[in-house]
Amino acid sequence: MRTALILLLLLAVGAVAGSLIPQVGISDDKISQMFVDHPLRATVYEATGLFDVYGSWWFTLIYALLLTSLAACLFPRTRALLRTLRTRPQPARELDSMRLYVERSVAVPPGTVLDRSANILRRKRFRVDRVGGAVPQVAADKGIAREAGSLLFHWAFFLIVIGIFYGKGTGFTGYAVIPEGTTWTEAHANYDGTAREGRFFNENHTGAQVRVEEFTVVYEPDGTPQEFTTTAELLHGDGTSAGTADIELNAPGSVDGVDFYQYGYGWAPVIEVTDADGEILFSGPVIFEQDRAPKGISQAAMPWTGAVKLPSLRPQVGVAFRLLPDPETALVSEMTDEPIPVLKPSHPVLALRVFEGDLRLDVAQRVTELDPVGLQERRSGIVPLGEDVRIGGGVTVSFPELREYTVLQVGRDAGVGIMLLAAILILGGLLPALYSSRRRVWVRADPAPHGSVLKVGGFALQRRSEFEEEFARLVEAMARATDHASAIESETERT
Amino acid sequence: MEQLSQISNIAFWTALCLYAVAMVFDFYYLGFRREGAWKIANVLSWAGLAVQAVSVVTRGIAAGHLPWGNMYEYSSIVALIMVAVEKLVVELRYKVRTVAGFVLLAAVATMLIAGTALYRDPGPLVPALDSAWLMIHVILVITASALLMLGAGVLSPLFLVKVRQERRGAAAIGATRVPRGESEGATADDPPGFEPGADEPVGSASMAATATATVAAAATAPPGAGSPLLAKRGILPPSETLDRLAYRTIAVGFVVWTFAVIAGAIWAQRAWGRYWGWDPKEVWAFITWVVFAGYLHARATAGWKGTRAALLASVGFVVVLFTYYVVNIFIVGLHSYAGVS
Ligand code: HEM
Repeated sequence: MRTALILLLLLAVGAVAGSLIPQVGISDDKISQMFVDHPLRATVYEATGLFDVYGSWWFTLIYALLLTSLAACLFPRTRALLRTLRTRPQPARELDSMRLYVERSVAVPPGTVLDRSANILRRKRFRVDRVGGAVPQVAADKGIAREAGSLLFHWAFFLIVIGIFYGKGTGFTGYAVIPEGTTWTEAHANYDGTAREGRFFNENHTGAQVRVEEFTVVYEPDGTPQEFTTTAELLHGDGTSAGTADIELNAPGSVDGVDFYQYGYGWAPVIEVTDADGEILFSGPVIFEQDRAPKGISQAAMPWTGAVKLPSLRPQVGVAFRLLPDPETALVSEMTDEPIPVLKPSHPVLALRVFEGDLRLDVAQRVTELDPVGLQERRSGIVPLGEDVRIGGGVTVSFPELREYTVLQVGRDAGVGIMLLAAILILGGLLPALYSSRRRVWVRADPAPHGSVLKVGGFALQRRSEFEEEFARLVEAMARATDHASAIESETERT
Repeated sequence: MEQLSQISNIAFWTALCLYAVAMVFDFYYLGFRREGAWKIANVLSWAGLAVQAVSVVTRGIAAGHLPWGNMYEYSSIVALIMVAVEKLVVELRYKVRTVAGFVLLAAVATMLIAGTALYRDPGPLVPALDSAWLMIHVILVITASALLMLGAGVLSPLFLVKVRQERRGAAAIGATRVPRGESEGATADDPPGFEPGADEPVGSASMAATATATVAAAATAPPGAGSPLLAKRGILPPSETLDRLAYRTIAVGFVVWTFAVIAGAIWAQRAWGRYWGWDPKEVWAFITWVVFAGYLHARATAGWKGTRAALLASVGFVVVLFTYYVVNIFIVGLHSYAGVS
């Protein structure tokens, strides 16, 4: 117990460290900042796993030790419990030295006293044994649920560990960016960034598909988004439909064991680029993104930008776009450089800047941005929705349609069911472990001139004051059942 | 709506005042055992509970959602639960009246912070928070916080104080086991009527003996031995009682907290596709849980039961406070996100 206690406290201390020090995957910016500001401290933290406490070797060690000590404690306790379950309640040698002991004179002979007392105890759900031999007595006990509950509760922690490792090991998570009107297939290459895949995952992507029909946002009067809904048809890996779903916050969609959660959204203007001969160089929805807002500026006010890269032209051409809600704000924004939120654009306009030179596509870069190193800006312009603009060299850019895209978090965790079961066992075990109590009662009866002397002894290991009341009630019931010969009938009626 | 929200606010401050006055009478009862003072306090606190219930309900109607959407609303319910549990369980079930003042003090402090620094007009919920499991999670967290604050923040520290007094008293007077005195009042506050050694692993015989000895000795002690109030009556309930009350409260709090964490995980799975992500609130919920699991173990561990376990409970109380105020307000995690993207 002491080991467990100390390990539990160590676990808490480790968790505190994890909450005070920025963690990988949660506050990566702060970590990089620390490497700049305090390189030595950051290096030490890095080396000791303090940036990834919950995955560090020492945190793992603490809970591994905790589980080991738990197992070492649970095996003998479980064996003892099973043994108790198999054996009958033990008779007692002396009753009058018990914590609780009562004698009453009653009217019926000893054998009847024991029979009736045993019945009462049975009715109160005690395990009862009528012991013969030299000193006939009734031995009874109750409250095995306490130990059983405690064992269930503690064993469930192993289930939690299994659930976590099974779920994470065979599962994956990632993000899918899907413009309205397009279909996304669940496959390794199609994730935005990299998908996190479990160690035993083995590339078991499902090929399930999401055909996004529509994405809608409902805004509050002040412009904060209130509701987001992706209306999509889900398709099984074999291409058959699994029906349509409205994927919203708190309401994921699911197909082939893969869950889709509403995560984000953005604008995806459809852009078409043709060359002098009318040949299509590019056509389709382009994902626009916002930079993260600096402190003090609302994220909604950050500009939406995107890019189209045309590597087949000589020299290569890149067009950088910015989405603006209407021509007037486009003008204002060009002149003042003020941020303009794009919520419900009435007459959307794309401001564009055309670059020529080398796109450097052999260097890793984001799809939504141009790499400025090899490029020179040639011209700029605007193109309103439904119109087109020439950008030189006979190339035309048109903006036929403004769509939105949705970002879904995609994942599979087959361990969730195990976790739920463990949670149920934990709660179901905790209640009897805390609120039931182990208690024993013995009854004897000595012959007396007009009947017998009823002797009841008992004790409880926990919740003693409650047991005192229960004991008093039991004795009362026994005395009532045995105070005259015919009591047995009336007694049965009473209970 | 505007009107309802005002009614709610007036009721909130009325309840606060009722509690504050009741607290004064409760402390007077604690010091001087005048039945009349307790009766007044009793009426005032029940009135306060009723008025505060009105405040919570009208607030919910005004906001158009269950009245636990922000810190002000949480805190009001925390105070309500603390006082209600004190009244219903500590006073009615366990017949202990003398901790009421301390509980009311905690409730009044909670409400003062809520009504000033944390006050917000009722408003709609942010979309991510509009979910049944989340509502369950939040009310469970509120309930558990109230119970843990009551048990670990009020009862357990009182136990520590009482144990020190008893030790000092025993040392000053010479600890001999004296037969129990006659019971004067009907409440368990008056030690002579108290049956020691009644419950749970902590029922350390030595502590019970000390309690009995102190009290019995106090009755015969010359004036000026130990603290005068202690010498007169032993103004707090016996340490045994306090420990048991603290344990019972914390144990229920722990169960509710466990359920709250599970409900939170279920919600997180539905909302974000992961049941656990070590975001700051999850981390602190975990720490709280582990510390109180530590407390429950400590009470069953030789060498830790009694004072050390109670110290662990105090650590737990600090953790609850930190989670409740600092993490909720200053450390921003996913839990406070208002939208996506
Ligand atoms: C190595 C790990 C552990 C060991 C060896 C251990 C051992 C024990 C033992 C022997 C008891 C029975 C105490 C009694 O009834 O007298 C107990 C009770 C309990 N344990 Fe653990 N435990 C461990 C881990 C945990 C963990 C991780 C938790 C969860 C937070 C936990 C929560 C509890 C609770 C709530 C009780 C009931 C306390 C009571 O009956 O008052 N234990 N533990």
